[in-house]
Amino acid sequence: MAKRTITTLSMCVALLLGVAACGPSLVIQDVDFSQPLESVLSPDSNNEVHDQRYAIKFNISGILEKEGSSSVDEIRLIRNRGGFYFVTASGFNNVYVFETDDSELNLKRKIEISSDGLGQPAFNQRDGHIELVDRATGNTYNLDETGRR
Amino acid sequence: MAALLFIASSTVVAQQSDFQIQQDFRAEYSELTDRVNSAATSEELAEIEADIDALEADYSEYSNIINAAIYPDTFSERIANLRDRYASSETSLAAIDQLNEQISELQDELDEYRSRLASMDEEIADLNEQIDRASDNERRQAALIRQYRQNIEQRDAFVSDMLENLMMRYQDLDSATRDEIADASERMSDDPIELLRTIIAEYTNFADRDSGLEAPDYVRMRAQHGYFYEVWDRIGERLSETFAPDNPVETRQEINDMLSAWQASIDNKLWNALTTAFNQNGIELAPFTDASTFYDALYQYVESNYEASLESNRDEDYERFRTFRNYWNETVKAQWGELLISGEILSTSEIAEIDLMLSDWGDASQPTSNLMFILFLVSLAVIIGLIVLLVTKK
Repeated sequence: MAKRTITTLSMCVALLLGVAACGPSLVIQDVDFSQPLESVLSPDSNNEVHDQRYAIKFNISGILEKEGSSSVDEIRLIRNRGGFYFVTASGFNNVYVFETDDSELNLKRKIEISSDGLGQPAFNQRDGHIELVDRATGNTYNLDETGRR
Repeated sequence: MAALLFIASSTVVAQQSDFQIQQDFRAEYSELTDRVNSAATSEELAEIEADIDALEADYSEYSNIINAAIYPDTFSERIANLRDRYASSETSLAAIDQLNEQISELQDELDEYRSRLASMDEEIADLNEQIDRASDNERRQAALIRQYRQNIEQRDAFVSDMLENLMMRYQDLDSATRDEIADASERMSDDPIELLRTIIAEYTNFADRDSGLEAPDYVRMRAQHGYFYEVWDRIGERLSETFAPDNPVETRQEINDMLSAWQASIDNKLWNALTTAFNQNGIELAPFTDASTFYDALYQYVESNYEASLESNRDEDYERFRTFRNYWNETVKAQWGELLISGEILSTSEIAEIDLMLSDWGDASQPTSNLMFILFLVSLAVIIGLIVLLVTKK
């Protein structure tokens, strides 16, 4: 009886493996999503920003709400090697890290930088991290999707 | 401690934005490109060359950032492009410098022409006044007229040289050079067309003056007019397009009108002067008022006298023939011939036709000799004498 059960289970496992092998599964490793330069984008009247060069369009109303701000002149956006988007703007206290999903940007982390708000922030792509520079104060912060490094 | 170190390190390191670097590069590149395109002197270009070198040196360490920002262009391509533009501007400026030099030379040349013409005109005007004042001294007046005539001939020669020079320079001017000169000529205070206007106006004044000039002088003026007209016909269009690019057709017409006025002024004097010259040499021509009727008058004179000689064959006919032949050959053809042709007063074929008729007139007017008749009578008398002698001896 036990032998029959084992045989049946083995056949089921083999069948499952066979089905799985026939499905569309392909994973490409070590993809570099990094933008060499940040994008500086001006929102339109609906708070939408559109990056023509790197082909992304989204609404920043949610981010402004989190910052307690109604508008900004421009936001700064950069994508790191892992594909996470980093967003901030002049006057923001935080850098918002988003991961992508199906037509979505999901907030992965909010990295607090300054309680007084950033003066003239700028992102730089650096090896292994994103560099945030506040040109108004001269401060530099090294960031990744997990927070400050 | 770690926080303090972090703060210290973040303030010490010079902070730069990659985005700003590429923005600065774009701005400086764009400014340099504009400067290269608008550089007007070699000195400006020399400064730009140093700035291109500096741009390359300042940004070469950021070439990766810039390459990413300006993809598909690259930093090195942009610098090479800037240098190419620089080289092209350098070539263009060299051409402009050369053109400026040409324009400057042309301007100097025009100034020289104008100055010499003004001085000649002054001398001629002065002589003209002296001729008027010397009306009571015939000998002195004749000497002054001789001098006046010589000065006009010198001026004619000078103007002819100038026209020759203009013709050589502008006859085969290609359209590109013409356009370049046209652009540059706007900076000129004088131009060849303006000079031609002055010359023609002064020629018309000469012709209008009553200065004791005679037929040969007016024939020479017609010849000068003919040469002037021929040169204008050859280079007028190019000159107008080069030095009056805004209204070339009107400019050409204006000069054509001035040339016609000059010819009319010459003709006012020429036909009367020719009538007088022929009259003074015993040749009464029928009235004529232009080149065509002048030829008709000459031909009719020769033809009518030829016909008269055919009928009467008198010594006075032969004398009239000799008078005309001598004046025609020794003065009209020998001294004025070329001028008559270039002034379009008589053509070569018209002169040849008159020569032909003159030859017939010469044959017809030759007095017939009586010698043969006398010899015949003498021979007859001798024969009769011999016959009488023979008969009486028998």
